[in-house]
Amino acid sequence: MTTVSVEGRALALSNLDKVMYPATGFTKGQVIDYYRAIAPALLTHLAGRPLTLKRYPNGVDDKFFYEKRCPSHRPSWMRTCEIWSDRNKGIVNYCVVDDLASLVWVANMASLELHPSLSRCDDMPHPSTVAFDLDPGPPADAVDCARVALRLRDLFEQMGLQSFAKTSGSKGIQVYVPLNSGQADYESAAGTKPFSRAVAQLFEQQFPDEIVSSQKKDVRGGKVLIDWSQNDGYKTTVSVYSLRARERPWVSTPVTWDEVDDIASSGDVERSRFEAGDVVQRVQRLGDLFEPVATLQQQLPKLQ
Amino acid sequence: MGPMARSIWSGAISFGLVNVPVKVFTAVRKKDVRFHQLHGKDGARIQQKRWCPADEKEVAYEEIVKGYEISPNQYVVIEPEELEALDPEATHTIDIEDFVDLDQIDPLFFDSNYYLVPDGKGDKAYRLLLEAMRDAGKVGIAKVVMRTKQYLVAVRPVEEALVMTTMNFADEVVAQDELESLPGSKADASERELKMAEQLIGSLATEWDPAKYRDTYRERVLDLIEKKAEGQEIVTQPEAERPAPVIDLMAALEASLAAAKGAPADDEEKAPAKKARKSTKAS
Repeated sequence: MTTVSVEGRALALSNLDKVMYPATGFTKGQVIDYYRAIAPALLTHLAGRPLTLKRYPNGVDDKFFYEKRCPSHRPSWMRTCEIWSDRNKGIVNYCVVDDLASLVWVANMASLELHPSLSRCDDMPHPSTVAFDLDPGPPADAVDCARVALRLRDLFEQMGLQSFAKTSGSKGIQVYVPLNSGQADYESAAGTKPFSRAVAQLFEQQFPDEIVSSQKKDVRGGKVLIDWSQNDGYKTTVSVYSLRARERPWVSTPVTWDEVDDIASSGDVERSRFEAGDVVQRVQRLGDLFEPVATLQQQLPKLQ
Repeated sequence: MGPMARSIWSGAISFGLVNVPVKVFTAVRKKDVRFHQLHGKDGARIQQKRWCPADEKEVAYEEIVKGYEISPNQYVVIEPEELEALDPEATHTIDIEDFVDLDQIDPLFFDSNYYLVPDGKGDKAYRLLLEAMRDAGKVGIAKVVMRTKQYLVAVRPVEEALVMTTMNFADEVVAQDELESLPGSKADASERELKMAEQLIGSLATEWDPAKYRDTYRERVLDLIEKKAEGQEIVTQPEAERPAPVIDLMAALEASLAAAKGAPADDEEKAPAKKARKSTKAS
């Protein structure tokens, strides 16, 4: 047990030497250190949002669980937000990670993956972004996802919308369209779900050999799933800058459209992979490429 | 002159073998000062949403059904078609069943007032009915179906028009024995007290002149509103959000594909290289 002081708050950190990623020997101490180092960029994207923790107490090769309820043994200063849960028929009190101390506390619980809501606590009915999760069905891979991502970007450009890409940190690429306008909800005709579904289905119709819009595994071989279903008030999506529980400590990393183009045209899947150390350096060099996702106000067009 | 009145229903007054085609106009326009609900912080108009607390979702009209609470939290769901089957037949007639003396109807039974105006060629029959009722000093009691509801109405002459007044059904009027503290006759006053009260009433008695009475509360509210508006103490609506542009998704996609032609991501030459790469993969 190591006690540290984070922004004036004492935190007891445990098992810092425990290996979380056996393939590389990346320890829990390194996980915490990564989150500490990336905090200035990451906190922008976690602040004010209900957060689901994906915890791996014994590392990526062992059991994990999703934790929605902020543990009752949380420090008194930990911010939470109460959200009604249909499934639990009651209020769920989520952790809200707004500052470094909260982030370190969460990381110490081996919450390798951080999955925030697409909504902020103070305006749950209105998502702040539309998310498209491009998930390759093998043998398709991140290169195929990059090609689809570019097409999505071009489509959104035609609509006058800016979009932003990040690697999923796993196999795919995600495209976010910031809204931040408190206007569109999830479910109504003008909401993000019908919009994202229409986009996915249109792409499926136009590129039936490359793209599917349905989760069904049997139709996905060699194609990219445009998963629109995360645009749902009950779902969470892996945060930008979150570690992923893969063989190596890959991170869901924001990339420029030039980089996406580069992944697509080089055919090199390795260019879509960034490990914790790379990402801290990238942010020092490039700043937070995802910053506009938290701030840019855009309005979803109505579909004809 | 105010705005032209618009008829809300048309049909015919029917009694015996006589039919008088008429249109129905609202006879009373309420002049209450209407306020809107604004968010105190920013002055935005409050919107009401149909919110489902179980789903935590806004609910579309199409998803809403009618439920009748038979006991606390127990609802019987009634489909629109089931109600439609019970709708009274829209006969488009005001069927006068009886003629009665007006002073036999206590104003308690009167609800809303409508003008009946002759429709098309009914002028002569309309005038005949109006004058006959006026001479006889009688009021017609009728049934009529407007929208999907059946009403009991009184039809009577008022100056140069026939007025139709919807009536409360007897079982809708609250019975006086439900009023606990009515004193009844056991609290009878003395003869002398009664005389004095009658004298007082007599001294205040006058002709009924509706123009004499004004809604002074409304006047003061309007006055306040005017003063505040002049003094610029007005909550302005936050700038209305731009309405969302309407786009044709397919056209946008075609335009984006055309724009991307020749760009590296869609370059045909890249496809074979990509395939070759895949075939060497061990996945």
